Amino acid sequence: MKLLALKANKTSIAITSPSQFTVSLTVLAYLVAAGPHLMAMPRWLALCILVISAWRVVTAWQRWRPPHWLIRTLVTFSALGAVLASYGTLWGRRAATALLCVMVAVKLMEMFRTRDARQIAALGFFLVAAQFLFSQQIALLPYLLIACGLATAAMLSVQADDDRRRHPDVVARQNEPLKSGGSDWSRHLKSGLVLLGLSIPFALVLFAVFPRLASPLWGIPENALDGRTGLSDEMSPGAIASLYADDSPAFRVEFEGQRPEQSDLYWRGPVLWHFNGTTWSRLISAHTETPRRPTGNNPPLQYSVQLEPNERRWLFTLDYPVEWSEEARLTRDYQLVRERPVTRLISYSVSSEPDFIDEPQLDPTLRRAALRLPEGQNPRTLELAADYRQEYADDRELINAVLRWFNEDAFFYSLETLPLGLNGADEFLFDLKTGYCEYYASAFAILMRAAGIPARIVTGYQGGFWQQSSEYLLVRQSDAHAWVEVWLQGRGWTRIDPTAAVSPTRILENARRALNDTPGWMGGRWAQNLRNQFDRVQHYWNQWVLGFNAARQNELFSRLGLDRLSGPLLAVVIVLLALLTVVPLAFLLRGLGQTRRVLTPDQRAWKRMIQKLKPFKLQPRRAETPLEFAERAAVKLNNGQRLINAARVYNQLRYAHSDNISESLRASLQQASRNWRPDPNPELLNSAPVIRVLLQRMTTRKPA
Amino acid sequence: MWSGKSWSTRPLTELSQTDPGSLKNRLDRLFARWLKRRGPVTPPFRLNYRQIFILPTGFGCLLGAIAFAMLISSLNFNNNMGLFTTFLVAGIAVLSMHIAYRNLEGITIRQCTAEPVFAGQDLALLVRLSEDSNRLRSGLRLSSQDDARTDVIRLKPADHDQMMLTLPTVERGWFKPGRLTLATRHPLGLFRAWSVFWPEQQFLVWPKPADQAPALPLSNRLNSGEKPGDEGDEYHGLRSWREGDPIHRIAWKASQRHQDLLAREFTQPVQDELLFSIDQTGVRERERAISIVTSWVLESDQRGLQYGLELGAVRVDTGSGRRHRDRCLNALAELP
Repeated sequence: MKLLALKANKTSIAITSPSQFTVSLTVLAYLVAAGPHLMAMPRWLALCILVISAWRVVTAWQRWRPPHWLIRTLVTFSALGAVLASYGTLWGRRAATALLCVMVAVKLMEMFRTRDARQIAALGFFLVAAQFLFSQQIALLPYLLIACGLATAAMLSVQADDDRRRHPDVVARQNEPLKSGGSDWSRHLKSGLVLLGLSIPFALVLFAVFPRLASPLWGIPENALDGRTGLSDEMSPGAIASLYADDSPAFRVEFEGQRPEQSDLYWRGPVLWHFNGTTWSRLISAHTETPRRPTGNNPPLQYSVQLEPNERRWLFTLDYPVEWSEEARLTRDYQLVRERPVTRLISYSVSSEPDFIDEPQLDPTLRRAALRLPEGQNPRTLELAADYRQEYADDRELINAVLRWFNEDAFFYSLETLPLGLNGADEFLFDLKTGYCEYYASAFAILMRAAGIPARIVTGYQGGFWQQSSEYLLVRQSDAHAWVEVWLQGRGWTRIDPTAAVSPTRILENARRALNDTPGWMGGRWAQNLRNQFDRVQHYWNQWVLGFNAARQNELFSRLGLDRLSGPLLAVVIVLLALLTVVPLAFLLRGLGQTRRVLTPDQRAWKRMIQKLKPFKLQPRRAETPLEFAERAAVKLNNGQRLINAARVYNQLRYAHSDNISESLRASLQQASRNWRPDPNPELLNSAPVIRVLLQRMTTRKPA
Repeated sequence: MWSGKSWSTRPLTELSQTDPGSLKNRLDRLFARWLKRRGPVTPPFRLNYRQIFILPTGFGCLLGAIAFAMLISSLNFNNNMGLFTTFLVAGIAVLSMHIAYRNLEGITIRQCTAEPVFAGQDLALLVRLSEDSNRLRSGLRLSSQDDARTDVIRLKPADHDQMMLTLPTVERGWFKPGRLTLATRHPLGLFRAWSVFWPEQQFLVWPKPADQAPALPLSNRLNSGEKPGDEGDEYHGLRSWREGDPIHRIAWKASQRHQDLLAREFTQPVQDELLFSIDQTGVRERERAISIVTSWVLESDQRGLQYGLELGAVRVDTGSGRRHRDRCLNALAELP
């Protein structure tokens, strides 16, 4: 009895488990959907997932038994531990998606039932959507389509397996073997892609009309991006260096009207006041809202910025922002700061007034902050500052002298330099003399403070690349820059860029050009061009697809006149619009995976002949044989005999034994079908609409 | 709905417990009445929108939940590519709903047939379907009322085919297959479209032969039966002479008046002629008695005996052969 029960159980497992093809397709769909997640994972974790997937496929083909539940439980817990070990938490997007990937991989180990295979296929869609929380590059569009197509194909395959299983009783009675699944790979893949393709119009309509949230329902976690951040809010010389190698876009700018000079493109970011000897950082008291907002009735610079997500709060602007569209406050040192970090692509428009005077009267507290230097550091720099001070009483002259020194002495602009020690400014100014913007800005600011001139450091981006035809400025991470602002009596805070004194090309072109740098063939000119072209596509993608938000949608609705509809009515219209796009398309599907009934050349030839009689409303009736039809039609035609002959030939071609069919017979039917033109009796002609007959005459070729 | 776990045959007692007053049965009857008002529900009929129902499956609900999660998170982060993915999934689901409906629409359920079986055996109900819209119909699943037994086929374009449902029988008599369901989950298993119908025919279930039947009541022989015999038996009549007949059997005198030679034919009175009745079993329990008679009928048929039935008002004259056996079994099955 027990033996029997065991046996029954075994057969039922064998029958209800998905076929090898389905398993392989499902695993493939999972791996493709999880691909970008795997690449972002620690290598060894991704490797584990690959190994489990491979094991599952081999198991399906070798028909191994499912692993013991103890093993599965063990693997589940160790996978949980592995994610915890490599991320330190299960909270946060990367850790959560990694956990999901790992858990699906563990689920693969128990994918011995139809239901499990289905769930894995469905989770594929979720993995795809989850990837877009990290990046929405246009390059991911093929990934979206392929991964969704594969997941659909896997679901098709699972269902086809399910639909192939007849009841064992029936199989026994009808003497039909149980089919264990066919090699329908290509069919399922094709059907999956067809389904996906047909649902694209539906998705597009919903995309355009589905109501968007004007403000998020819940907050956005801070660590949304994979550390792909731009500038930080601190600066210690040597830190931005990693940014110079990063060619990814930081933001894009479109100017309305006047375009500033390349050398005026200083995109203001964090302003750093406090220097502790190695690191510059922000000043809390300068971070409060400014009491003096720049005003200008007609600010000369109008532009809109499309800012890539960077997980920072500040918005980059040119000096000095007057009005801006994004919800943000302007600080005392004229940074534009948002309440929440930028975790997705945002776009804002700004107008700037470059001639605004920043703090004509310097507040004593701020002055103290702008002059403070750590005790007992950089003695040589302090000495130099004292010398300069003695020589030049006027602040401006002193600054010019220092810049001249930078320009004329053997200072070099290079990314390949050494980190600085405790007396950083001394080392740099007197020994190293080689560095990049941070080195110069830091040393210059220290020198100024030592000379009694209030100074602070501004970080941000400088310059950018003008796309030739589409009129926008692309600012890359590699355009990151640091400069100095000094406070001068009568002019307020004034921008001084010591790097420009050393390497004017850095300012006029960009860092890479300034370094005279050709890093291999990938960095070659043509590759650069290609990248610029690609960025243009990405720009439009950002603008029209990713930037499509509630505001844009309202604009679209009002253009379509939909804005007058009330909420429920709008919902109905949306649903109808979406259905209208999908349902007619569904009729194209004459049963998924079905091959269309293909007519033989003979059938086509005969059909063509019949078609020519359509204007006279002479068509075969139901269950009328070709010959019967020809005889009935011939009565009404002057040249009916040829139709009868053709019908006889057709009958022979179609129903006679294939040995008796000669190629010449076939050719004669083809010829008749091409050349024959119905010549109707006057009686028939009268009964047919003239216009149709004329049309028919015009469209059929005359016999050669 | 076939869950794919096992084809457990339920205990027979459970099947026979049908309480007509229970809520489920009352609802079933209401549903049937409503459905019958909408259109034909007994074969032959063609499935159209009036008879086809569609609802998401459990898996469909799961995908719906996943898509909803995708929608909410994408909306929240204004993640347009995520939204697009969500809408693609929704589009695929809507399409699959439509395809599931069209997979049933236009199929004609022709007729239901079944060979009689003995009580306790499975009745193999054949349901013939045909397709004339030139569309492939994949994954058509036929199931009985209790969903225990199913069959699945793939109907080719412009073709006909039959599905088989093995229905367990419990007692002799007229068997009603009850409500049958033709369903499909093609293409993605997200939606289940189904139609229900009630075959008009009833199928006869023969009584179950008794396991340990008493021996055939051979003592109760009749003497009216005969079988072809040799000389010395009773003279029966004349028939045409066939090759192999002995020459001395030729009826020369009679042959003179005919074109052909005639041979004399003799019959032998049959000893093994039986007429069974309920009382002969000596069992008081009626069903058990009928079972015993059934097994007698089968045994006599196997031994090639002449037999008949004497069942109160119903009487089957003696005879033999397969058709005679079936007649006897039918009579036994129909006994009140």
